[in-house]
Amino acid sequence: MSSTSHEVAQGPHHSGGAAPSALSAHSIVKRFPGVLANDNVNFDINAGEVHTLLGENGAGKSTLAAMLCGLYQPDSGYILRNGERISLPSPRAGLQHGIAMVHQHFKLVERFSVAENVVLGSRDLNFRIDRNTIDEKVAAVAESYGLPIDPTAVVGELSVGQRQRVEIVKALYQGAEILLLDEPTAVLVPAEVEKLFENVRAMTAAGKSIVFISHKLGEVVEISDRVTVLRNGQVTGHVTGKGSANTKELAKLMVGRDIDLAPQRASHPIGHEILQIRDVSLTLNGVDVLSNISFNVHAGEMVGIAGVAGNGQRELADTIAGLISPTSGSVSIGGAMSTDKGPIHARELGLAYVPEDRLGVGLVPSMSILDNLLLTRDRDFVVDRASLQPEASRLIDQYEIKANGPEHVARKLSGGNAQKVLLARELSGGRTATKLLVVCSPTRGLDVGAIETVRRVLDDARSAGQAILLISEDLDEILSLSDRVFVIYRGAIVHETPGETADLATVGAAMAGLSSTTSEGHN
Amino acid sequence: MRAPFRLVFEQRSETPKYLAAVVPIASVVAALFIGVIFLFATGYSPWETYSNMFQDGFASSTGITDTLGMSTVLICTAVAAAFAFQMNLYNIGGEGQLYMGMLASTWAGLALGPHLPTFVMIPVVMIIGALAGALWILIPAYVRSRLGTSEIVTTLLLTYVAANFINHYIYTSGSYFRAPNTMFPQGRLVADSARLDPFGTTNLYPTFFFVVLLALFLYWLVKKTEYGYKIQVISDSPRAAKYAGINANRTTLSVMLISGALAGLGGAMLIVGPVGRLDPGITALGYGYAGIVIAALARNNFSAIIVSGILFAGLRTGGEKLQISTDTPIHIGVMLQGAILLFALGGEAFRRYRIKTIRTKVVAQ
Repeated sequence: MSSTSHEVAQGPHHSGGAAPSALSAHSIVKRFPGVLANDNVNFDINAGEVHTLLGENGAGKSTLAAMLCGLYQPDSGYILRNGERISLPSPRAGLQHGIAMVHQHFKLVERFSVAENVVLGSRDLNFRIDRNTIDEKVAAVAESYGLPIDPTAVVGELSVGQRQRVEIVKALYQGAEILLLDEPTAVLVPAEVEKLFENVRAMTAAGKSIVFISHKLGEVVEISDRVTVLRNGQVTGHVTGKGSANTKELAKLMVGRDIDLAPQRASHPIGHEILQIRDVSLTLNGVDVLSNISFNVHAGEMVGIAGVAGNGQRELADTIAGLISPTSGSVSIGGAMSTDKGPIHARELGLAYVPEDRLGVGLVPSMSILDNLLLTRDRDFVVDRASLQPEASRLIDQYEIKANGPEHVARKLSGGNAQKVLLARELSGGRTATKLLVVCSPTRGLDVGAIETVRRVLDDARSAGQAILLISEDLDEILSLSDRVFVIYRGAIVHETPGETADLATVGAAMAGLSSTTSEGHN
Repeated sequence: MRAPFRLVFEQRSETPKYLAAVVPIASVVAALFIGVIFLFATGYSPWETYSNMFQDGFASSTGITDTLGMSTVLICTAVAAAFAFQMNLYNIGGEGQLYMGMLASTWAGLALGPHLPTFVMIPVVMIIGALAGALWILIPAYVRSRLGTSEIVTTLLLTYVAANFINHYIYTSGSYFRAPNTMFPQGRLVADSARLDPFGTTNLYPTFFFVVLLALFLYWLVKKTEYGYKIQVISDSPRAAKYAGINANRTTLSVMLISGALAGLGGAMLIVGPVGRLDPGITALGYGYAGIVIAALARNNFSAIIVSGILFAGLRTGGEKLQISTDTPIHIGVMLQGAILLFALGGEAFRRYRIKTIRTKVVAQ
């Protein structure tokens, strides 16, 4: 790395001799094959502030962040640190300038303790590691920013929120002044989000700068001092001043048009029972995953199941879909028993199932859209692809799927388009007309535009008289769409409330296991 | 001081179509180039050696028929390997399954041959050979599909067991399979009704056309049928298969059994074709292992295997004749096979990544 840092004469900012920004990027251009990821982007952050990068997936916000921390190098443009030009050929160089990124997917060694993970990669370690010393040092750093954490705890046993805190402590321990948090709330429950925001405030109070990367509008408004909105690699707007942004305006800057994320809860008739779950319990490898779950979903009704990931939602969905046989209890679809009869039988009874993992479970990544449509349909011995071609083209049009046609490979679809293919297949019916739709995390990781489409599709399906079971960790989504809301905690339903009058705080508490009704549900 | 540039592997978003042909061809060329170095080092003329090999392998009339004859079994063991590989099942014991196919079809030729006419015997011998190959992979296939035991280890180890079976029946005096009154131990020739005639005085048998049709049939099976569809789903994402109600265990079992049967069929083709008995030299020829290389070179594409199988057979026949005519060691052919595999596998990197040189900037702009 060159140690010659130039004073840049033509610096466009800091008129009138104001202190230079802690970090600023100027006229950044970054190309990937076929994509202009960043097109002449300017960005700056001051000490002690939270500056949010807002944009849809693919808008270029993660690319910009990667260049700010040294993961990528810009094709042109330059970066200033306290007014001095720096070059960042690697993340290590970023760290030397006090810039660190906390990735969305944590990079921690699960078998190591918190302290071991924190000191991992720092260069001032001796050959012999004195655990007591590092434990004390790590605890001291954590404490000074109000991030209490047990340095001796094994990371593999920590919750997601705690792991994230370990990542943050690690960055601080390495001397970070500027932290880039890449979609930090994507993996957290509401209570953990609150705690994270407290930590963010403590860090900014101590003079740290936080670059917050997100597409969740509510949070952005709550935490940001400034917001920079990116769309298609270009900056489309700035909003300055805490709390002065509003979600509608930001959504418009982000997507380029007006957006309605909460479709009107249309008044529609609720019909007879389609899904009946009776006392379903499931024990896997000696662990009680589901205990005594009973509920019904009616035609034309959407029932939402809220809960923190890993509380049995996936198993519940798989049980309804016939992929898992419950240890006891029964499931029936449209009045016919489907317990123990396998997924094909469940589908013959009118089940459609959109699983949590789109690519790899719902869709086969290496296969074309056309072949993926065949996945849950009856197939002749000689597969007749030609006759499905017109329907595939029609679904691509109807669901506004951005693809080169039915031969487009699923792996190359964006998350939103993959989800649309999945919904198109499941709702277009294969073996029988769809009566019951089970959807898991239908909008996770999607663009605002795609979220709008997916929610509208679900709403239309409900209006058409289908019974819908919506399982999601996104509480806002559950509350804005569902007619009835259940909260699942440790495999049991611990709370039930009508969707319209549901209270965020009460549901959130139930998700965290704090509900007063918790005790009756299990064991 | 830093190097003036560095190499960067950049993942391709899409593999250009032409690379599917360029990589295998370049692998062969690169292997031939490595061969040049060895030929030089050992004092042979590379040009003369290669032109002789080409002449004896492809360009002369006996050369081409010998090559096509040799390719028959190689294509068969290659489709056997590819059939399992396409589902990420690594049956590398095709060699052993071929031995067992050979043993069983020899038995059929000896025991049933005298009583049945040719048009019955040929299919019977082939079917029995295929069944024996399937039987030999049954245990690896079962434990793989039920318990997930590595089929690589089990199929490989069973090859050594199969080799000893063959040797036992050839070398044990009084063995049913051993020819009496020979100076060196040798297998007994099967009945004439269990053998096909070659075309004229060549070493090319009708089985060649059968095996070409077989490869094309397998291509159709995988690309166009529901069975092939299931294989594709399971090999890409087992969880998607479960989601769709596809029984992965059963398909795993059947794919491995078919792979073993195809290898066993290769053994039967040696009996109805050029060999006709248990031959002590068989274990040195490595038909099963060569099939793995041919499948890899063709990237498990059944129609491409026909081409790569013939190419490989040409290298072999050319190499064999070289030894007779010019006293160049036969091992040059074997070495080239190994080098081709190495480059073909290494060439995968070029399909997935674009290699760029980046100039190291001394001062940014």
